Amino acid sequence: MQSFPAPLIRIVSGLRFRHEAGLMLLLAIELIVFGFFGRRFLTADNGVNIIRHSVEIGMLALVMLPVILTGGIDLSVGSLLGLCAVLFGKLWRDVGVDWPMAAVGSVVVGLIGGAMNAFLITRLRLPPLIVTLSTYSLFRGLAEAITQGTDAFTGFPESFLFVGTGAWGGLPAQAGLLLACAVGIAMLIHQTTWGRSIRAIGFSAEGAEYAGLPVRRRVASAYCLAGAIAGLAALTYTARFGTAKADAGTGYELAAITAVVLGGASIFGGRGSVAGTVLGVAVLGVLGNGLTRLPATLSTASEITGIVTGLLLLASLALPRLAAMAGPSGTAGTEKHKRPKST
Amino acid sequence: MTPPLLQLIGIKKAFGAVTALNGVNFELRPGEVHALLGGNGAGKSTLIKVITGAHPPDAGTVAVGGYPISRLTPAIARSLGIACIYQQPALFPDLTVTENIGLRLESTSPFRRVRHRERRRLAGSLLRQVGAGFSGETGVHDLSMPQQQLVEIACAIGAGAKILIMDEPTASLTQPEQELLFGVVDNLRRNGSGIIYISHRLEEIFRIADRVTVLRDGESVVTRDLTRTGSAEGTAIGQGFDEADLIHWMVGRNLERTPVAIPPAGAPDRLIVHGLGCEDSGVHNITFTIRAGEIVGLTGLVGAGRTELARILFGLTPADTGEIRLDGIPVTISSPEEAIALGIGYLPEDRRRHGIILDLSVAQNVSMSVHSRIFPRGWLRPNAEQTLAEHYIHRLGIKTAGSGADANTLSGGNQQKVAMARWLATNPRVLILDEPTQGVDVGAKSEIHQHIRRLVDEGLAVLLISSELAEILALSHRIGVMRSGTLTALFDGQPSAAQLMRAALGNLEPGDPPC
Repeated sequence: MQSFPAPLIRIVSGLRFRHEAGLMLLLAIELIVFGFFGRRFLTADNGVNIIRHSVEIGMLALVMLPVILTGGIDLSVGSLLGLCAVLFGKLWRDVGVDWPMAAVGSVVVGLIGGAMNAFLITRLRLPPLIVTLSTYSLFRGLAEAITQGTDAFTGFPESFLFVGTGAWGGLPAQAGLLLACAVGIAMLIHQTTWGRSIRAIGFSAEGAEYAGLPVRRRVASAYCLAGAIAGLAALTYTARFGTAKADAGTGYELAAITAVVLGGASIFGGRGSVAGTVLGVAVLGVLGNGLTRLPATLSTASEITGIVTGLLLLASLALPRLAAMAGPSGTAGTEKHKRPKST
Repeated sequence: MTPPLLQLIGIKKAFGAVTALNGVNFELRPGEVHALLGGNGAGKSTLIKVITGAHPPDAGTVAVGGYPISRLTPAIARSLGIACIYQQPALFPDLTVTENIGLRLESTSPFRRVRHRERRRLAGSLLRQVGAGFSGETGVHDLSMPQQQLVEIACAIGAGAKILIMDEPTASLTQPEQELLFGVVDNLRRNGSGIIYISHRLEEIFRIADRVTVLRDGESVVTRDLTRTGSAEGTAIGQGFDEADLIHWMVGRNLERTPVAIPPAGAPDRLIVHGLGCEDSGVHNITFTIRAGEIVGLTGLVGAGRTELARILFGLTPADTGEIRLDGIPVTISSPEEAIALGIGYLPEDRRRHGIILDLSVAQNVSMSVHSRIFPRGWLRPNAEQTLAEHYIHRLGIKTAGSGADANTLSGGNQQKVAMARWLATNPRVLILDEPTQGVDVGAKSEIHQHIRRLVDEGLAVLLISSELAEILALSHRIGVMRSGTLTALFDGQPSAAQLMRAALGNLEPGDPPC
């Protein structure tokens, strides 16, 4: 880095941190507004509450990030979470295996689901949007078929429920899992050749192929990782509610994508960071919780969550574009080339 | 005397530092077929784009029917009766011929009633005029390429085009289809249209043209008349020139071969290719050898299969017949990864799409094909990467704000050097360079040439693909010529540019070495 001219360092680092800094400001505004108007918002209990509710979406967002970095998308992770939860319950209650073994089974099922997406996308060269839209229906449908739509698995042992309801030193137990995921994914994406290849593929899959990078293997691994972590998220979800039902994780795939895009990742691939994604999850988690704690005179409470989320996401996409259009070049290029860079 | 249909005077056009047209004069009279000849990069495509209004010229005058047109746009060009039939027809494949003709010729207002009977009548009459043997109800996707070209011509006639540009119309045609097309061209000529006819097949020029203009390096070098003997069906003869003169004009006089070092006697064969072919990419029966320290040039017309051959050798489209030996050992190359592991590098033709990744930094681009060597455990080591990049920035003289600058902040020539640096970093045994100086300014070009020479002095084997004869002649120890997917000639000695052009055009003479 020392060979850079100083002005260049300033420009590059400015672009790199502007988006994350904006998200931190947004988070601070949320905390102040809800802290001022909300009832019992700034309490330790509520903090734990927010984190518990954000863990599954957070884990899914963290593995959605590499998929989006390759220029792909995975709409099936929420459904896969549901399928894994149901199979976990089935293994434990009906097959009778210990819950740790059943938990391993859940992750393996997730991995198989992800591998199926990967096979269809990289070997048959089908578009990710269509493949995962299909498996989105398929996985949820399988979960419903297994439970016949009504069966729910309950009565899990205390040692398992601790994963979703217990606490370590004031922090919820599943926060450790989320933290481990965040650190692991951050190292993978930002500090390994795997992450570098994923990014290169997102910028130009053809360019990456001509450079001799194993394009199909890398893309496949991103979908497999997403599946496996969906299997892991199924466990914290089940432990949090104490039941495993076929509707577990409904809509979580879209929440995860929202967090990743709000976090500054380009849907065309290449650009995005773990820090941005984590902040995106935090902004959305605090928002969802805070809006339910506003007094009725101020709002119609949680019903406006959708409106605020939609507007936030649009603003986060439109602002950089507007800035680029007002900038010295005056030209509005594709989003891919105008979004701030974060490597 | 009627004014010429089209007149171009002193047309100039540059793209950045690259001059495409440098003073072109051209004239098209009513009832004439005017052939436009020139090697790759002579400026034919740019000239067409100027005539059709796609590129405004930097200088010069375009006059249609005797009136200078100050600001020609594609819409104005169309309304003046200028139409271009491209090699690849741009029809809607899922619609019928009649629907396609209707879409081209009818009013474009969004709400109007389609008069199906009128449309069918018009389409039928136009198809008859071009001698099409298929009905208007045929779906375009069921038509062959030449049949689609006929539809394009029918559209042009229907639009009242008086100036027709035909860009290599016979490139994919069989002999009877060609005759059919020539009949249509004759008809158009009799009706007073002017046709600008672009082709690489010299015999066609004599068969169909009334005049010929040769372009070279963006200039119109010569314009000559041909006289038709007897009927319009017969073959014309040039007025004081023949095919050899045309070739001579296309390549110019001043292409003297600069002597290059002969590779050391007894240098081992590095790459041996025998009977190589790949059906999907249309390449077949390629046999040649490159010795260590040798540059084998490979030339030919666009579409002759040179890039396809490179893609086979680099594993992008693996071969299905033939044999490749590297330092005597038979190898199969089924992916770029394997090619790189074997020590084969490929600098692709399309720098911006394939050669580098514009959004990554210089250092990230340079290290991209040696990840396993400089990051052996898979962890990125920014310092090692930066050292590697700075080594090549210094060695190749890459002008950049630093190794961390995005590749898209660099000029074209420097981007190309970054792409080369990536391959040098792999320490290749064989390097395939595909149009290494295309779109690069003159200074960077000679630097790249020097680097190539230095590399072969160090023992690298280079396959140099270039459309530019001067480049091929200046750098190569031996020169192969490709045509229609195979190697048609391999020159050991010092061929003249005319010999190369003859081989590329398929006009081999007894003195030329067959392959």
